[in-house]
Amino acid sequence: MELERISVVLRPRAPREALDLGAALLRANATAVWSAWFAFTLPVFVLCNALGLLLGWPWLGWVLVWWLKPLFDRLPLYVLSRAVFDRAPGWRETLRGQRRWSWRSTLAGLSWRRIDSNRALRLPLELLEGASRQQRAARWKVLRRRITGETSLLTYGCLQFELVLFLSFWLFALLLIPHEWRPESLAGFFRDDVRVAATPWILAGATVAYLAMSAIEPLYVACGFALYLNRRTQLEAWDIDLAFRRLRARLQGLGKLLGVLLLCAGALPLSARAATATVDTPKPATSNLDQVFGAPAGVGPRFAEAAAEVYRDPRFGGERTVRRWTFKYEPQPSARAQPLAFPLLARVLAAVFKGLLWLGLLGAVGALAWFAWRWRGRRRPAADETAPLPLHDMSNGEAPSPLPADLAGATRALWQARQQRAALALLYRGSVERTAQLLQLPPAVGATEADWLRQAAAINDAERAQRVVAIVRAWQFAAYAGRYPDDAAIERLLSGWPAQTGVSA
Amino acid sequence: MLDTVREIETPEGVSLRLRAAGALPRAQAWMVDLLLRLVVLFVAMIPLALFGKGGNGLAMLLMFALLWAYSVVCEVWLDGQTLGKRALGLRVVKADGTPVTWLPSVVRNLLRVVDALPGVYGVGLASTLIDPHARRLGDIVAGTMVIHAQEPPAGQQVPALPALPLPQVLAADEQAALVEYAERAGQLTVQRQEELANLLTPLTGQRDTAAIRQLVAHANWLLGRA
Repeated sequence: MELERISVVLRPRAPREALDLGAALLRANATAVWSAWFAFTLPVFVLCNALGLLLGWPWLGWVLVWWLKPLFDRLPLYVLSRAVFDRAPGWRETLRGQRRWSWRSTLAGLSWRRIDSNRALRLPLELLEGASRQQRAARWKVLRRRITGETSLLTYGCLQFELVLFLSFWLFALLLIPHEWRPESLAGFFRDDVRVAATPWILAGATVAYLAMSAIEPLYVACGFALYLNRRTQLEAWDIDLAFRRLRARLQGLGKLLGVLLLCAGALPLSARAATATVDTPKPATSNLDQVFGAPAGVGPRFAEAAAEVYRDPRFGGERTVRRWTFKYEPQPSARAQPLAFPLLARVLAAVFKGLLWLGLLGAVGALAWFAWRWRGRRRPAADETAPLPLHDMSNGEAPSPLPADLAGATRALWQARQQRAALALLYRGSVERTAQLLQLPPAVGATEADWLRQAAAINDAERAQRVVAIVRAWQFAAYAGRYPDDAAIERLLSGWPAQTGVSA
Repeated sequence: MLDTVREIETPEGVSLRLRAAGALPRAQAWMVDLLLRLVVLFVAMIPLALFGKGGNGLAMLLMFALLWAYSVVCEVWLDGQTLGKRALGLRVVKADGTPVTWLPSVVRNLLRVVDALPGVYGVGLASTLIDPHARRLGDIVAGTMVIHAQEPPAGQQVPALPALPLPQVLAADEQAALVEYAERAGQLTVQRQEELANLLTPLTGQRDTAAIRQLVAHANWLLGRA
């Protein structure tokens, strides 16, 4: 056995996981397994049933095919064991290969060991190892030690699967046949139809059972073989064996290709760090800072040694493939660089353009300087503007002035002078101040329009409150939307209390 | 190389290995679940039978819940494991390895109707046997898979020996093999230990017992022991 040629990933698996490896193994070699399987079992199946018919016992074929399972098991095992360590053999090769395997264990399996829940695990031991009887008994004891549970699970599970497939066929048939053809009752069907034509039904049953067995029995063998592989990996550390062999090949400089593969696979910042860490044994702490910083860190034989060690790392050096675009044809140097026709003219033109370029540069610098100067000039008054605005300033930069005694008159004067915004601002300011006076509120500097609308609700005269609300709204429309009331609306706002203090309403 | 692992690399460069669970363990987990649910149903039906038609109705409701809600609730709230899956060490995860959420869980359990055709899970069995990650149709549609949740078997603690630096730089997998050897040497026979250690004579320059000791010492060094 050459372990290097194994085609499954060896790693310690839980036995239950190994069962799944068996399924994967079977999936990968399905063609080879089933071609060999059917090449051998189909004739046997036909013969058995023919024998049953000849003897007048149609059920005999069914039973015989089931009984011969241990014989059939040899085929998938042969294919899979070859496929794992070499390549999958064809069906002819498989059938020929059976002659080389001992028949004693198969005979035992067909006779006194027919009902054996460990058959799947016993098969590879007996057929592949071919040890003497005493040795085999000892090996069997070791091999099965921790996996009896899984082998039983495998046998029981495969039995279940076969039953599922067998039943599935009949149930699907029941689902798919037209309603008129269905029997009235299942009991009646068995009592009448099946008993009348017993032989065809039994043959049909045997065929379906054979097909279900054909689907599941290779799985059973494959899973048993995978269990066996896993157990031996566990007992003999096959995965470590493989890794060590690869390492040995690399060390001996024989496996150059293998080295390249490892190089691709190896990611080992760990080893580099660990190596340098131990090469530089920790020094006693130096208290002198000059010593610490002045000393050329890491230059010396020890550093060179560590560096050389790092470069021995398979990731450095070696071969690697780099892909890049190159020209298919050498690019020709362009034929532009011809001697000029009029050298003098060309030189004059060059000088002129050079001068123009210099002028352009001067112009650019000058423009920059001019902009800088202008910007400085602009910036000064703007700096004054950033001074905090007077809080009561509601008109355009107008200093807060005491309210005119005749608020309505002043507003009307501003309105007629087309200073509509200023007029409304004055009216608003006056009306909120008077509202505050009326309600005896403290001077509220930060009060917003919404606040005044709320305060207006507290005025106990409905008409006054309405007018304050109307003024605030008019101001809001003017201030935020630029929509001004017409003259009549202004007159309505100016009539009455907040604008005219003398009038009672 | 043949394996049952589905490897996923996250954007951070971490590779996750999902060990897909096949038809056999899954079928057994389902059997455990089925038996558990039947037991619960029968135990509940005994007192419910005393309440006549109302009790019948409650039993129907319980059956409905056990049939449809049990798997979803278990998968979402119990880490992707129904009780049967927990017993067999299996877990449902999304195809990218993240925990299963409501929608995929509901989808995969609703599609049991298809997988259970024709009443004995024939379709589901065929699907799990054919699919490389052993998914049934519900898993394929919902974007989930069933994995082995149990930790793979590990060896013992590496026996403590004075650490010995490696004479040569080894690649990461070679280092891992050395440490693995030291961990699992206790499970091997002495002859096999020596046989394996002798393979590395080009590295250690020793044979037999001395080689074993040296490899274990190297493993100690690789593990960062003093």
